Amino acid sequence: MSGRRIGVYVCQCGGNIGDYVDVDKVVEEIKGDDDVVIARSAMFTCSDATQQEIVQDAQEQGLDALVVASCSPKLHTVTFRDVAKRAGMNPFQYTQVNVREQCSWTHTDDKTGATEKATRLVRAGINRTRLTEPLEPIVVETTPKSLVVGGGIAGLRAALGLAELGLTVFLVEKEARLGGHVAGYGPMFPNDRKGSDLVATLEEKVRANPAITVFTNAELMAKSGSFGNNQATIAIHDGDKLETIQVDVGSIVVATGFDDYEPAAGEFGYGLDGVVTLPEFKKMVDEAPGLLQYKGRPVKTVAYIYCVGSRQDESLEGAHTYCSRYCCTSAVHTALEAQKLAGDLRQYHLYRDMRTYGKYELLWSASRENGSLYLRVPDDEPPAVEKLSSGGLKVTTRDLLTGDEEIAIPADLVVLVTGMVPRDNAELVSVLKLPVGNDGFYNEIHPKLRPVETIVDGVLICGACQAPKTSSEAVAAGLAAVTQSGAMLKRGYAELDPMVATVYADLCTWCGKCRAACPYDAIEQVELDGRQVAQVVKTACKGCGGCVPVCPEDATDLLGYTDAQIKSMIDGMMEVSCS
Amino acid sequence: MTALVNPGLADELARSDGFDADACMNCGVCSAICPMGVDVEVRRLFRYVLLGMEDKVRAETERVFSCLLCRMCEENCPAGVHIAENVRTLRHHIVRTGFGLGEG
Repeated sequence: MSGRRIGVYVCQCGGNIGDYVDVDKVVEEIKGDDDVVIARSAMFTCSDATQQEIVQDAQEQGLDALVVASCSPKLHTVTFRDVAKRAGMNPFQYTQVNVREQCSWTHTDDKTGATEKATRLVRAGINRTRLTEPLEPIVVETTPKSLVVGGGIAGLRAALGLAELGLTVFLVEKEARLGGHVAGYGPMFPNDRKGSDLVATLEEKVRANPAITVFTNAELMAKSGSFGNNQATIAIHDGDKLETIQVDVGSIVVATGFDDYEPAAGEFGYGLDGVVTLPEFKKMVDEAPGLLQYKGRPVKTVAYIYCVGSRQDESLEGAHTYCSRYCCTSAVHTALEAQKLAGDLRQYHLYRDMRTYGKYELLWSASRENGSLYLRVPDDEPPAVEKLSSGGLKVTTRDLLTGDEEIAIPADLVVLVTGMVPRDNAELVSVLKLPVGNDGFYNEIHPKLRPVETIVDGVLICGACQAPKTSSEAVAAGLAAVTQSGAMLKRGYAELDPMVATVYADLCTWCGKCRAACPYDAIEQVELDGRQVAQVVKTACKGCGGCVPVCPEDATDLLGYTDAQIKSMIDGMMEVSCS
Repeated sequence: MTALVNPGLADELARSDGFDADACMNCGVCSAICPMGVDVEVRRLFRYVLLGMEDKVRAETERVFSCLLCRMCEENCPAGVHIAENVRTLRHHIVRTGFGLGEG
């Protein structure tokens, strides 16, 4: 007997657990275990009513630790830590045992076995709980400053948003000017405002804001520190001169954008005179002197080939298998813009699927009634582009909508509707340890619920560096990153999970093995009473436990999952039931 | 046989009889609800016109004339194409050019 007062609740989860695990039998088995003051089953332990009962039990029985055997810890650890807290216990003296995913759902063919396994797991949980120590969240002060990497439309808007929240902002742009791709665009969908105007307005506001410092010709060279407190080293190029400065920031917003897909020579005739990419064509339309011209010759017929560099066959080396999302609408919008110019323009769109989603669907309809004809191209037989002896171009394709007729289109100009590809930013990836997906774009933690956070604390991503996006989507993501920065930094402090590594300094002989094993640079060498020992930087430690097994002196341990606790759990699982 | 696109046919019919199938997005509602069954596949017929495939249009003469002009398709067209009017236009075109019954 340790004198602990543990409450154990075993959940039926309706029938999810109860149909296969004999919950009452589990309760019966463990209720006489040492230190178990109360053991009960419940239909839905997470329900408000049962939570309330636990709180009441705890107060009546003077419980000091809690075990709930229910679903995955991913689902309800936080729920029941909160219950423990409300009941006057330390939330870190709570243990969640998973008898749903690990027992009832996995052993539907063996109810006796499932019940026995559940008993063993609950017993392990009780043993772990017996050895828990009260832990308090690690409180760190945060720096109310943000670094934005990338001065395109998303980065500019994010910088402005951060400053409006009252944070100090450093904006780093690799190029000599701000604005990125959008700065070079004329009228953009959906409201025909010029990209150059949008960016100019933003830039003016950014430059005028005293809370924002802009660095152009600049790059992020190094980053150190931990949650809420990072030191960033910025290199600024001035001709041949290189100046480096260091800034302290609480969050880093990465908005490094995309590259346009560059077709290979010969890909859909790329390289032939008159075959251009969508960005090149858009520029021609934006700058056309009243009449659409190519190299001084009037353009009367344009053929578009869609999905160039997007939705590629996965068997191709380095294939871009994703849809680039913006190009259908951009091509349709550009076709409408071209139609506004003088001259009787004929436009043929060779597409695989038109994805002018949402409100942009109206643009597609408008284009069909304004000189654009759409031909559905078979996925497995791409159109062929050739140069005619007359100097013009000819595009040959099958049109699925006429029942596979082969159609030839003589065209003055062929526009390859190119998509977005990830930018090669190997240095930044290595400096920030950015998570890069198989497609080359940066990965968020959760596409729906945590769409701009990364697994690296305080590093947020937004805009087209995380996936192809329209400029409005990029800006929305930028502002989401602003909100997340605000959530981290506006309170002035943050609470971190205390289940981190610890070093028993009296046992440590400083061999450095733990530091070598740590993926987060969270272990440092310090001098203590004249001896060199390891010390954990609590704010940098993620509690992965990587340093524990490598220690030859058993001087490292993980709070909440100490060696003693793990051993006691194994003992609990091995214990044979009396019945 | 590869057909060369020719916007001239649609232009001519637009000018002479107000032919207009630009808004068609090939959804196929017209074919699905046609009381004559799939025999009168107007969306393909109109596409031949838009692409300028005169021979194909002429080869469909039988179908052009089997339409009942009941306007069931037109009532249900989500793109608002005046389908029956267009069919009438094609009849006129075929008669005028195919049977030598020009308007003088």
